[in-house]
Amino acid sequence: MEVTRTGTPGATAVAEAADAAVATPIVVPNTQWLPADPSAYGGGRPPTITHLAELELQEKGDNGRWGALDIIPTKADYLLDYLRLNSLWPLLSGLACCAMEMMSAATSINDMDRFNMFPFRASPRQADVLIVAGTLTTKMAGPLIRLWEQMPEPKWCVAMGDCTCSGGRYKRSYATVQGIDRVMPVDVYVPGCPPRPEGLIYGMMKLQQLILERRGQWNDRRVGPSVPAGV
Amino acid sequence: MTAEPRVRSLDDPEILVHSPAAIIDAVPPYPPRTEREAEFYTLADGEMFINLGPQHPSTHGVLRVVLKLDGERVVDLDPVLGYLHRGVEKICENGDWHHAISNCDPLEYIASMFSEAMPVLVAEKLLDLDVPRRAEYIRVLAWELNRISSHALFIGWLALDLGGLTPILYGFIERDEIVEMLAALTGQKLLFNYLRIGGVNGDLNHEFLSRLGDWMGHAAKRIEDQMRLMNENEIFVGRTRGLGVLTRETALRTCVTGPPLRATGVPYDVRRAHPYSVYPELEFDIPTRTEGDSYARYLLHLEEIRQSIHIIDQVLHQMPDGPVMAKLPRLLRVPPGRAWVAFESPRGQYGAYGISDGTDQPFRLRIHDPSYFTLQAVGELVPGHLVADTMAIMASLDPIMGGIDK
Repeated sequence: MEVTRTGTPGATAVAEAADAAVATPIVVPNTQWLPADPSAYGGGRPPTITHLAELELQEKGDNGRWGALDIIPTKADYLLDYLRLNSLWPLLSGLACCAMEMMSAATSINDMDRFNMFPFRASPRQADVLIVAGTLTTKMAGPLIRLWEQMPEPKWCVAMGDCTCSGGRYKRSYATVQGIDRVMPVDVYVPGCPPRPEGLIYGMMKLQQLILERRGQWNDRRVGPSVPAGV
Repeated sequence: MTAEPRVRSLDDPEILVHSPAAIIDAVPPYPPRTEREAEFYTLADGEMFINLGPQHPSTHGVLRVVLKLDGERVVDLDPVLGYLHRGVEKICENGDWHHAISNCDPLEYIASMFSEAMPVLVAEKLLDLDVPRRAEYIRVLAWELNRISSHALFIGWLALDLGGLTPILYGFIERDEIVEMLAALTGQKLLFNYLRIGGVNGDLNHEFLSRLGDWMGHAAKRIEDQMRLMNENEIFVGRTRGLGVLTRETALRTCVTGPPLRATGVPYDVRRAHPYSVYPELEFDIPTRTEGDSYARYLLHLEEIRQSIHIIDQVLHQMPDGPVMAKLPRLLRVPPGRAWVAFESPRGQYGAYGISDGTDQPFRLRIHDPSYFTLQAVGELVPGHLVADTMAIMASLDPIMGGIDK
């Protein structure tokens, strides 16, 4: 296509209709090209006003908001993360005492649904977040790892309660796993014995923040105690 | 010594090999050890196994039940316990008697005020201690409040396992109000750690009493709402009435106590049969029913909530003044001996058998949990029913895995 410097970018030339009875297709010439000459249009310098949405808002006031959101320049990762963090589906897997507070967080008084983290799924294949609520015993560790592996990526793990963070009151028990970070990666630790429902909701909001900041970097988390050997 | 980073990835093949995740199958990976196992794990023509749990929303924790099915009908079942075994009895032996109180707390995590009473009552019996009367009244007040919160959750869960989401929302409103009230009294919302050997941790405070007053104002109305919501509900009645009928003989043979036993017509309640604390001074009924099915157990729980409210009303009127703790040495050496105590928890007779060797630590604290015996009845009740009714029957028996696995 011939490109000239005199042409007005963005202007559309609509072909005239020859006959009102016969609908001629409207032809919109392509003006969204890249210039062949790199020095065209001021050498590719950014325009003075970069935020087109704000410019639009200035003119239209409140009504301009929706028009401005027609096009959001973004990356697919950003958009997908944004969608994921706003529909976190936890797995309904209460292990012990903390499960009471987890259910309390999900029901009427502390309504987790307000923060887009409600539909507790019973199947790991439909869940995004594994809230490990309660003491993890060595016998339950295998099934829990299996649940974690059955969850589709991307997935996140919240350790709720002292027992799952570090062993807590069962630190010296012969039958418990001293912190679930020994068997699976953990994104957010919510300490407390048990944490209040508000604490769990705060932890889940931190997880949302984490998802937004990580930008798809969820797959290089490591398993292992978070303290060095000998401590 | 150089500190090696003990960091392993999930991609590490070693962790997969050692994880027992690969062997959680319905059929155990070892040859049958008993005749019963050999009989159960042999399939007749047309039968199949289904693994229910350990992660299943209707098993109330981490119980695994292997069901042997013929079509949709349960032929036999085999409960597999131990997924929540935390070694509480052993931990209790390693701390002193005061530590045992907080270590026993998470056993019955829906009604912690009862499980933490075990070491307290055992030690008091061994010490032959006179607990101040005000402390006894406060204990009864806390116990009955906790019983109501536990029963409210029972009703919600029963409906939830039958597929109705609404009652659990109401149940949790009731439960949250009560535990917030107890949190104002004890400082903790779930594991209260409030009872002490020789009394309670603190006297009643203003916030607790004002919350209690608010709650007492609408407690009776809540029950009526509950009854209007579920008692006549066609689906609920159709799925609970006549299902899971526990006969009087089976209940007595399997040592079932609490509401499942009283729903068969046996008026056994430890508060009345072997009175403890100040229960002899209080007036209350032992509601019973004769049907023994899931619906009878549901109705019985409602009636027990009424009785508990009645007890709380009397306690608030008869509460004497005085200290809330007996005078005891800081280092508590319990005299040597053995003691058995029993008391009525929301799920039945909670018992504890303690042995002291004269030091400040319990030599042995055997925990007798009612849910364990209630779970025995599941093996008698469920065979012959449909898979979907398994949930309804197990929910109506209300076992709590924390106490079963200890």
